[in-house]
Amino acid sequence: MQFDDQNRVGKAKRRALVNQTEAKNRVELFRHLPQYDHGSQLPNLESKLFQLDSVHPAVFKVGLRYMAGDISGVNARCTEMLRALQEAIIDYSTPPEKVLIRELTAKISSYISFINECRPLSISMGNAIRFVKRRIAKLPLSHTDVEAKTALCSDIDRFINEKIIIADKVIVGHASTKVRDGDVLLTYGLSCVVEMILLSAHDVGKKFRVVVVDSRPKLESQALLNRLIAKGLSCTYTHINAVSYIMHEVTKVFLGASAVLSNGTVLSRVGTACIAMVAHAFSVPVLICCEAFKFHERVLLDSICCNEIGDPGALATVPGRMDINYLENWTNEENLQLLNLMYDVTPSDYVSVIVTDHGMIPPTSVPVIVREYGQEHYLI
Amino acid sequence: METEAPSMENPKISAYYQTRLAHFGVVSTEWLAQAQSATNPNPPLPSSSTNSHTDKDTNFSVIDEFNRWRNHPDLAEAVAAIRALAAVISASKASTMMQLEIELKNASDTLKAWDTTSISLTAASDLFMRYVTRTSALEFEDFNSAKARLIERADKFGEISYKARKIIGMLSQDFIFDGCTILVHGFSRVVFEVLKLAAHNKKRFRVFCTEGRPDRTGLRLSNDLAKLDVPVKLVIDSAVAYTMDEVDMVLVGADGVVESGGIINMMGTYQIALVAKSMNKPVYVAAESYKFARHYPLDQKDLAPALRPVDFGVPIPSKVEVECSARDYTPPQYLTLLFTDLGVLTPSVVSDELIQLYL
Repeated sequence: MQFDDQNRVGKAKRRALVNQTEAKNRVELFRHLPQYDHGSQLPNLESKLFQLDSVHPAVFKVGLRYMAGDISGVNARCTEMLRALQEAIIDYSTPPEKVLIRELTAKISSYISFINECRPLSISMGNAIRFVKRRIAKLPLSHTDVEAKTALCSDIDRFINEKIIIADKVIVGHASTKVRDGDVLLTYGLSCVVEMILLSAHDVGKKFRVVVVDSRPKLESQALLNRLIAKGLSCTYTHINAVSYIMHEVTKVFLGASAVLSNGTVLSRVGTACIAMVAHAFSVPVLICCEAFKFHERVLLDSICCNEIGDPGALATVPGRMDINYLENWTNEENLQLLNLMYDVTPSDYVSVIVTDHGMIPPTSVPVIVREYGQEHYLI
Repeated sequence: METEAPSMENPKISAYYQTRLAHFGVVSTEWLAQAQSATNPNPPLPSSSTNSHTDKDTNFSVIDEFNRWRNHPDLAEAVAAIRALAAVISASKASTMMQLEIELKNASDTLKAWDTTSISLTAASDLFMRYVTRTSALEFEDFNSAKARLIERADKFGEISYKARKIIGMLSQDFIFDGCTILVHGFSRVVFEVLKLAAHNKKRFRVFCTEGRPDRTGLRLSNDLAKLDVPVKLVIDSAVAYTMDEVDMVLVGADGVVESGGIINMMGTYQIALVAKSMNKPVYVAAESYKFARHYPLDQKDLAPALRPVDFGVPIPSKVEVECSARDYTPPQYLTLLFTDLGVLTPSVVSDELIQLYL
């Protein structure tokens, strides 16, 4: 839904389960995206704990965790959401005189819209949800409630296992062959697959060092840095403003992705496009590591149409530095708007290879995977 | 007349290039054919004791079969491998499908081990295995009819591969127009077929041949083309940029076509492609579809090394290192089109075909 459409926003607000106050100083260019006041969101939702009986407690818990920022990264978010849906399905019982398929689909849709209100869904999570709805639609009518529920739960288990857990192992296998002795690998942000690749290559005994690039305000890579150092890898830590300084030493760049679109563009954490562009300018190969369930048939040409806006207040303050308080009263300034984007889009020219569980493919072959494995995806 | 004696036991030369050397010294092909038939063509392979596949009942060795096919100088090595593998199926005494597949796998591994650096050999073996075992006939309960179907598919694959050169020749004719100048690098039998057919169709064109050190392929190719009355000009490798102005297109073959859409070919191809791209000249690659391999090199060092000693004519001091790599990788952005037996394709289609085959 485009949030600059007044009618639809009004209607959605009336149906909304979570009260959100609009942010002050909304960025005009991004009026089509939801921009809510982050300060009051969480307490608001917490207070509703016992009032929302249309929402299953597991789903409520997941929504709360999303809003608090506990879970980040598409894989974790997807897995948690699917597990919550699993619990909701187990506790579900069809009301008398109603058909399971339709009722369950409606219930799942309402849960999904609740989760969406807590935090907008990413593109690849849409794939997972479509999978669940298709499985429900394909249930034979003759199944009893119990049979249907067990079938659905095992399907969801299989999806998580095959498309995420095992896929990660396969990706690690493929990508580790590309790490050679003496390599300097650069990584950005916190991607669980890239972390697995680095650790597995280190375990096999390859000698390489890692450059970890980070950026404000989330500073996500510090967690990655800690874990790598604990395992004994030699790392260099820098911020994204120094990436062109350090790129001449780097031999390969490993990046994760939130979604990969049909024209080969990669949707990922904001800053990834920068890294890929600088790497391309220095002729350093860029490897995107992502599971095949994140492939989508959509096409994006820029980072504006589809994005997520984070908390602008996080930009105004630097934790631990009380003296940097120039933006303390930024909300009172009429002419000032703070923009905290979460995602950006990397064009396919900057990507050398995409490593998926189907093997290593060039970015031009993404629609082939979507076409060939799209059907199987829903029929597993 | 002297040819270089191929030192088969010399580990510095990969077997693939030894074969080409053995078949094609700087002499005419007729002399070679005579020499081949006269001499004993099969030196004992170093690891044949562990690798040769022998059935308990018959003494069928896939390597022998392979060598038998391979000795024909016109036949591509990969096609010989395919024919040998097809023969494995026919000669197999297996009674179940699993057993047959295991036999095939062993034979394929043996062939690949014969020369680990040859990409087209590995690619062709893999593709053959996928193509043949991908038939729904394997669900037949009657083993014999399933086996017959496998043999049928294997023969068909062999036929397609064998005829691939002719098909590529026909498809490329549209791209050679009257009065054009073609730059050729490396001796590819496919490219030679293309040019032969064009000459036969009475097209007026001229060819610039790079010398192709250290293989001296340019000399051989210019010899063969001169016999067809095609105007040929020999160009030393360093003069490619100098002559690129007059050239209308670059035509090369490929040792292997990789998943990114790039090619692996004789050393010097990357250079020529770079020069051609910067001067806006199209680079066409003529390659059979069995050369599509599942590699994905990110840079030049990502290839399995294939070494070839370079003879400078004068002794080199031992302190001086020599770069002996025999081939390089040309990334897909420098290639314009691929002429294959599947049609005239853009480089991004290679991955498409491979994904469909490995589905």
